[in-house]
Amino acid sequence: MILAVLFSNSEGNILVERFHGVPSEERLHWRSFLVKLGADNLKGAKNEELFVASHKSVYIVYTVLGDVCIYVVGKDDYDELALSEVIFVITSAVKDVCGKPPTERLFLDKYGRICLCLDEIVWKGMLENTDKDRIRRLIRLKPPTDV
Amino acid sequence: MAQPLIKKDDDRDDEEYSPFLGIEKGAVLQEARVFNDPQLDPKRCSQVITKLLYLLNQGDNFTKVEATEVFFSVTKLFQSKEIGLRRMVYLIIKELSPSADEVIIVTSSLMKDMTSKTDMYRANAIRVLCRITDGTLLTQIERYLKQAIVDKNPVVASAALVSGIHLLQTNPEIVKRWSNEVQEAVQSRAALVQFHALALLHQIRQNDRLAVSKLVTSLTRGTVRSPLAQCLLIRYTSQVIRESSNNTQTGDRPFYDYLESCLRHKAEMVIFEAARAITELSGVTNRELTPAITVLQLFLSSSKPVLRFAAVRTLNKVAMTHPMAVTNCNIDMESLISDQNRSIATLAITTLLKTGNESSVDRLMKQITNFMSDIADEFKIVVVEAIRSLCLKFPLKYRSLMNFLSNILREEGGFEYKKAIVDSIVILIRDIPEAKESGLFHLCEFIEDCEFTYLSTQILHFLGNEGPKTSDPSKYIRYIYNRVILENATVRAGAVSTLAKFGALVDSLKPRIYVLLRRCLFDCDDEVRDRATLYLNMLVGDGSVSETDKDVKDFLFGSLDIPLINLETSLKNYVPSEETFDIDSVPKEVKSQPLAEKKAPGKKQSGLGAPPSAPASAFDAYEKILSSIPEFSSFGKLFKSSAPVELTEAETEYSVNVVKHVYDGHVVFQYNCTNTIPEQLLENVIVQVDCSEAEDFSEIASKPLRSLPYDSPGQTFVAFEKPEGAILGKFGNTLRFIVKEVDPSTGEAEDDGVEDEYQLEELEVVAADYILKVGVSNFRNAWESMGANCERVDEYGLGQRESLAEAVSAVINILGMQPCEGTEVVPSNSRSHTCLLSGVFMGNVKVLVRLSFGVEGPKQVAMKLAVRSEDQAVSDAIHEIVSSG
Repeated sequence: MILAVLFSNSEGNILVERFHGVPSEERLHWRSFLVKLGADNLKGAKNEELFVASHKSVYIVYTVLGDVCIYVVGKDDYDELALSEVIFVITSAVKDVCGKPPTERLFLDKYGRICLCLDEIVWKGMLENTDKDRIRRLIRLKPPTDV
Repeated sequence: MAQPLIKKDDDRDDEEYSPFLGIEKGAVLQEARVFNDPQLDPKRCSQVITKLLYLLNQGDNFTKVEATEVFFSVTKLFQSKEIGLRRMVYLIIKELSPSADEVIIVTSSLMKDMTSKTDMYRANAIRVLCRITDGTLLTQIERYLKQAIVDKNPVVASAALVSGIHLLQTNPEIVKRWSNEVQEAVQSRAALVQFHALALLHQIRQNDRLAVSKLVTSLTRGTVRSPLAQCLLIRYTSQVIRESSNNTQTGDRPFYDYLESCLRHKAEMVIFEAARAITELSGVTNRELTPAITVLQLFLSSSKPVLRFAAVRTLNKVAMTHPMAVTNCNIDMESLISDQNRSIATLAITTLLKTGNESSVDRLMKQITNFMSDIADEFKIVVVEAIRSLCLKFPLKYRSLMNFLSNILREEGGFEYKKAIVDSIVILIRDIPEAKESGLFHLCEFIEDCEFTYLSTQILHFLGNEGPKTSDPSKYIRYIYNRVILENATVRAGAVSTLAKFGALVDSLKPRIYVLLRRCLFDCDDEVRDRATLYLNMLVGDGSVSETDKDVKDFLFGSLDIPLINLETSLKNYVPSEETFDIDSVPKEVKSQPLAEKKAPGKKQSGLGAPPSAPASAFDAYEKILSSIPEFSSFGKLFKSSAPVELTEAETEYSVNVVKHVYDGHVVFQYNCTNTIPEQLLENVIVQVDCSEAEDFSEIASKPLRSLPYDSPGQTFVAFEKPEGAILGKFGNTLRFIVKEVDPSTGEAEDDGVEDEYQLEELEVVAADYILKVGVSNFRNAWESMGANCERVDEYGLGQRESLAEAVSAVINILGMQPCEGTEVVPSNSRSHTCLLSGVFMGNVKVLVRLSFGVEGPKQVAMKLAVRSEDQAVSDAIHEIVSSG
């Protein structure tokens, strides 16, 4: 299960948060935990350099893309390797929508499309689509090219 | 389509400005009225939906009314044919997750989209419908969903399959009917469809072992296109291997070849998954393990941090069971100590600590010292714990490890970290006698500059118990008295008690301690003054406080003979009452449950967490209870109390476990009983014991339990006389009592009761009950200094055994002795093993045992048993236990 996908800006303000199967009273805890994790480790990190951590039985893979920090949390089947696949799809989709590693402004400009991409990639805690070209078509309701 | 609210350009001023700056829920909800316009503006509608999404994604919650209102407006947008807007509508409906009574509004629109000619409408409509649907609606659309699963468009098929996975949780019986279609989808040429179909099919069949096994067999022979599906298949394969391992004959492991072939797959995730599956096989042989370790070793030097982490995490696990297999990777692992990612570095360190041998300890410690300064506390705690177990494994290395601990104790760190270090030092002091003096000295240094009151008081308490027994107790006084001068009242009071303990035990220090305690009489804190007064009166002794030297020591070192929880309850009752407090009125009966928990096997002994009496605390509590019962007070000193043995199945009407207390000439059974029926009150509870298979034992006393109300555990005791020595026997048990009905509304019991009885399981007194588990730090030294005077060596055939490890643990259990130097762990697949045990036999006789096991023929285990002790009779007794066991 992919428990959470979270985007924040470099100051730790939340841009997008999507939880799956996490009780609402625990979300705040997760949010602050992830933001702190990023603040401790992501300073000076290169774009798309992956960081990984585990907390109890849960895995976290996170990275930075432009001004935006991206965190993916998973457990069971979604271990660090599966999550790195998920975060790879997310970063490539975001880059595809924004045309480059986004500034915070650019990210917010493209907010609607990014939400659609996330909807295609992670659906209720499961990885659905992995190919950025296909995702680009899907968010415009175009059939994928390989059909 | 969502367009930016402000045009995108590279103007730096604009970069600062967020399109959502000052966004407010109320205003956005107002804007959402555009959805109701007769002439829809798709672009504007998309923008408003984006804002709604932004609010939702920020964790803003809509009230029920707000959500309903937005939802109804959104449904109007189905009128628009604009594709981008339609996509947004699907998304926002899912996000709003309308309630069951609202869903009906969109059902028809979505059903229409679901049967649309446009594939993309179909896929999305399926996803939305499945998200918001309930059981009844699902039966209506089931037909479409089944078609969708085998749709030639992979997007539609995937949407239906993933919906199936989610629906399986809520409507399993419906989804299970789709099995045939899902089976077909597993053969799909589209990688993702195959992945999703495989996941769903496995979930549908997960309780049918045969079906899963068939699925795995057919797929491992065929081709699986998607690496993700391949990973799933590997997981399912290892599940099949695990479940079939019990009934396969010797020979090749089924599916191992498949796993091994996956190690050569082109996708890293598949390689890793296969390697991990191999390492987790039960009873994996070195030959099977080698290829997996090799690929993991390659991953250790990968440029991708995730791969490095995954590899080191897996190797860390392997190191617990097969340390030797991992040693090849030690060089790569050492280079990871400097890894940027601290999680990787910590895992590398702890793995190295597990696989390292005695000679590499010093080098390793050097590397770790550099590493410790730049990791967070939570990682440091993991390292400290690993070092503690390393030190217990190689007691001869205690010097360098103790030095390391004392060094890090001086550095900055939070409470949990410091506590972990202090706990480790305390455990090392307890287990390695040679380390005692230096350890105490490090703790003294630490309290000179310790900011944590809790740790200071705990260390002072420990110091009071251990310090007076060292060769030069006077050197600790300075550190203790400094606390009286420098610290807060809590620590000062603790220091006063510690001083008194030194005074009581060390005669040569007495005069000086009196001087120091007298100074404490002028302390500004009541508690410190009171303690000083009390201790002075006791030690100087005009006889008014305590009669004899023994009384003084009992008072200072004896543990409180009342369970703290009972004391707390009594004190709480005392506070509002008028009566004076009488400590004798506090009940001494210990609830059985906490004791059972303390004795639970596998629970690590904590350091200071439980004050220094911790290892014996359950024993102490038992001793107190028993000595308070007049019938048993003449039995002498309690030798051993066993762990509780359950005499009933879990969740029966009455739950009973028994603790065996062994004395030189007596045995007492303590039956801990719990009544789990709220409508019953039991009275005059006693266990009737049948000794027909324990003829040497004769019952001499019993202590019934007067009343046993619901869920309030109580104890009843039966005592036996026996000849001296390790006498064995088997006892039948029947619980007898008078049962009274309880009115649940008033909680009152009826006056009349009925006699009844309840059959319990049998109980055995075994040889292990006569041996205390007492370890030695250096077995070889102890063995040699014991000498061969009372040695007896013999060989035994243990017959056919499941494995060598099973044979070793069986012998350890029979003897009930303490395994030393980690020799209880048998490397898997080894053909021979030596296990070292130590203990104290009844009558305080030290015993050392050296067990050499060997496997001959098909699982035939032979054992050579060498026993050394201080008494030939005891050496013989050990042999007798083994030969009769």
